[in-house]
Amino acid sequence: MHDHETLESGPSRRDFLQETGAVVAATALAGAATMESPAAELQPGTGGGIGPNAVKITLNVNGRDVQTSIEPRVTLLDALRNYLDVTGCKRVCDRATCGACTVMLDGKVVYACTVLAIEAQGRQIRTAESLYNDGKLDAVPAAFVRADAQQCGFCTPGFVVAMKAVLDANPQAAPAQVEKGLQGNICRCGTYEQMRDAIYALCNTKRGN
Amino acid sequence: MPWPTTRRVIGTRVQRLDGNEKATGRAKYSFDINRPRMLHARILRSPHAHATIKTLDTAAAEKVAGFRAFYLIKKAGAEVFFAGDEIIAVAADTEEHADDCLRAIRVEYNVLAHQVKEADSLRSTTNTTGGAGVTNVNAGGDFTTDNFENAFAGTAATVQADYGVGVISHQCLESHGLVAEWDDKQENLTVWASTQAVPNTAEGLRVHFKMKPGEVKCITNYMGGGFGSKFGPDIQGIAAAELARTTRQAVKLMLDRAEEVTVGGIRPSAFGNVKIGGTKEGRIQAFEVDCYGTGGVSRGATVSFAILPYVYGPAVPNIKRLHRVVRTNIQTARAMRAPNHPQNSILTELAIDDLAARLNVNPMTMRLANLPPDDVAEAKTNPRGYIAQRGSIYRAEIAIIRKMCNWDRDWHVPGAQKGTIKSGMGMALHTWGGGGRGPNPTRVTINANGTVLAQSSSQDLGTAQRTLMAIIIADVLGLQPTDITVTLGDSSFGPSTPSGGSTTAPGTSPAILKAAETARDAFLTALAGRLNVQRNQLSIAPGVVVNAANNQRIPFRDACSQLGVPNVQANADWPTTKELQNSAPLREEWTTRLTNQGVGGVQIAEVKVDTETGIVTCSKFWAVQDCGLIINKLACESQVAGGVIMGLNYALYEECIFDRVTGRQVNADMEFYKLAGIADMPPIQVHMHDMPERGVIGIGEPPTIATAAAVGNAIFNAIGVRVPIAPFTPERVLAALANRRAGNP
Ligand code: FES
Ligand code: FES
Repeated sequence: MHDHETLESGPSRRDFLQETGAVVAATALAGAATMESPAAELQPGTGGGIGPNAVKITLNVNGRDVQTSIEPRVTLLDALRNYLDVTGCKRVCDRATCGACTVMLDGKVVYACTVLAIEAQGRQIRTAESLYNDGKLDAVPAAFVRADAQQCGFCTPGFVVAMKAVLDANPQAAPAQVEKGLQGNICRCGTYEQMRDAIYALCNTKRGN
Repeated sequence: MPWPTTRRVIGTRVQRLDGNEKATGRAKYSFDINRPRMLHARILRSPHAHATIKTLDTAAAEKVAGFRAFYLIKKAGAEVFFAGDEIIAVAADTEEHADDCLRAIRVEYNVLAHQVKEADSLRSTTNTTGGAGVTNVNAGGDFTTDNFENAFAGTAATVQADYGVGVISHQCLESHGLVAEWDDKQENLTVWASTQAVPNTAEGLRVHFKMKPGEVKCITNYMGGGFGSKFGPDIQGIAAAELARTTRQAVKLMLDRAEEVTVGGIRPSAFGNVKIGGTKEGRIQAFEVDCYGTGGVSRGATVSFAILPYVYGPAVPNIKRLHRVVRTNIQTARAMRAPNHPQNSILTELAIDDLAARLNVNPMTMRLANLPPDDVAEAKTNPRGYIAQRGSIYRAEIAIIRKMCNWDRDWHVPGAQKGTIKSGMGMALHTWGGGGRGPNPTRVTINANGTVLAQSSSQDLGTAQRTLMAIIIADVLGLQPTDITVTLGDSSFGPSTPSGGSTTAPGTSPAILKAAETARDAFLTALAGRLNVQRNQLSIAPGVVVNAANNQRIPFRDACSQLGVPNVQANADWPTTKELQNSAPLREEWTTRLTNQGVGGVQIAEVKVDTETGIVTCSKFWAVQDCGLIINKLACESQVAGGVIMGLNYALYEECIFDRVTGRQVNADMEFYKLAGIADMPPIQVHMHDMPERGVIGIGEPPTIATAAAVGNAIFNAIGVRVPIAPFTPERVLAALANRRAGNP
């Protein structure tokens, strides 16, 4: 399906969301995580376990340690967006399909909607915001801008992070390899044609027909 | 006030001004707004497609940790008409707690009969969708040309078949919703909304709360997709604002994905039995269609077949249409990118290719033989409009695309290829109105420090509207677009027209031009006074003010510093409707020179069909499109390629699937509701057919219209068998092939 690493932490959020209907999906989101409480079981040496009440956590986001208090059921995505105001990662499908929430965890891309925040402790979390520093724009988002590979832009930070991760891992990647790294992301506005221009520009390859 | 004849920036390829912010996640969309002490709200929805609410018990929910307030949307006794219909909204301190509250609410329903499939509902004997009417079927308007009885007499060939396309969802990536916050005295409301209509959204809330003008402010700096589905506060916006008032805290209410798909908007389906007959040269002699579609529980204002046969109507002498609107227990349809047109394109273009094959005529020849003629009468009043020159536009565009795709070399007779994987080419045409109107007041301020500010309340949905404003102003002032600071998306600036129907570029561009030119003139006048020269001695050249009195070229910034006042400012807008009505010269200037209506486009798809798996891959795509005067070529091409991709999704992947028994959508998600990823999409070659003399027209809708029909025809060309219903899924392709093998026509 996609090349994103998914952290398996007990029953996937995908499974319990496959019930029918808006109401079930709408209301079950947080519920199953609480009931299954897989996260608590994963924490060694905490005696009675943690949760369901909020616990203090420290996350390393874009090179800075930040603290907040969250219930163990809170995803990394929601912790970033709702508790830490880091909103470059977007919530769209919330179940590992669209890639809008893509962030790097120790250099590898993950769907932040499918990682629990408490599991991300002690790891380096990188979001799209990190690709703009002291007025300097990273080559990947710069290529998106030049090629106009974004319209509404809601999917774009996810694509940018996914592309950045491919090129970080393999700076010599060929366009086809970069494109493969984007297969876990969806754009509704339809920016793929321009995105290919951006990919070829980043790979210093001329685009034929 | 004409468009400048030599355009330095207008029409070039300009990167969007906000590209960096968006690409690095620093742009704050409404979904991203976090206010101090902000609460989160959610909505409880009916799981039943049709029911009455027997009892509603919120006692347990009120005891849930973090609970703050309810907003009741439907009382006990009320009837719900689709699964997802809103019952009650709840606010809590966190999203997690809001979810807990929803789960603690007990609702008992009296479940009633429902219909969610068009074909079932068409045969309904009862009304399950509310309102007047004994059944779910409404007459949708019939039309017959004179003497239709003999319409098919003497045709060289006639084909009759069913065609259609199902219901799809807008699937905006940023869901519907907003953040609402009242001031301390509860007198003023501010919302950050994901909307295509900033002032309308503020107005909708103002009316709901019976407030005075100016007391509600809507802000939309960035917007994550609308496609026609976001024109007001909606029920969730009202609920958020009500909850914010009750709790005296900011409230965020954004739909989750299942809700977005279930209530955020659908494009109506369309199914029709088409009979089409033509002469041996390929001229269509008669077109008869009996069609229906559903726009959900609504009466179907947005399912209209009145433009059948699509594009070619004016060239077809005999036409008969029978049309029914079938109501179903699913959400109300909303306008979706070129409302009606893609469906009508499918019902027309597929039938044309089937007739072409029967007549043994090349589909391109067939289309050239049936182009709507240039309208001579219209040429007298609006010579630059689409209607006056549509035949010529299509002919020119077909000539261009024919070369681009090498049609003469690569097109073959339907089904001519051997092998299991077969390729084919197909084409289709489209049109769209576009055109602009006011009010779209625009302000341009030139400051003594050399900065230039542009303001309007319009919105940038991803169309690069910000950049469009900067391009026009930069062109007039001799600057670069990056020299202009643009603020938009704030209703407190004043009115603006909603962004729907490809009307924003034409609706705003002339007002921007006028504001820029007025500001320029005020600037040069003020400067002339300071420099003690005649106003007409001063002019603008790139980056400088030229003083003809002494041949001096003053850098723009230096000139600003010599203004002697903090700034010069100009406001401009469209003439009022009344002024336009009363003045032919004004009408001509604003609606036939600065802007115009109607565009034509031609698209061609190349597909590969695996006849063993039924999988269709679109391998190449070509689009030729006019949109009058192009402001930003880069953004225009993005719009066209994006429209094509949306059309390819429509052709191959996406469809809302409803379960007959439960009445729920089974794929209210992004997993089983299929949308293309980058690997699924072909290279798309876009050619903008530049017609600057036509004025600005608008580009959002047209490029998504013909795509699905072009793909459908390419599939037919590849396998020689018609797959009649979109999306053209592997299952449907295999079914069509099996049907042919079984010896059916
Ligand atoms: S929001 Fe995480 S993959 Fe869609
Ligand atoms: S740019 Fe809008 S979804 Fe990709």
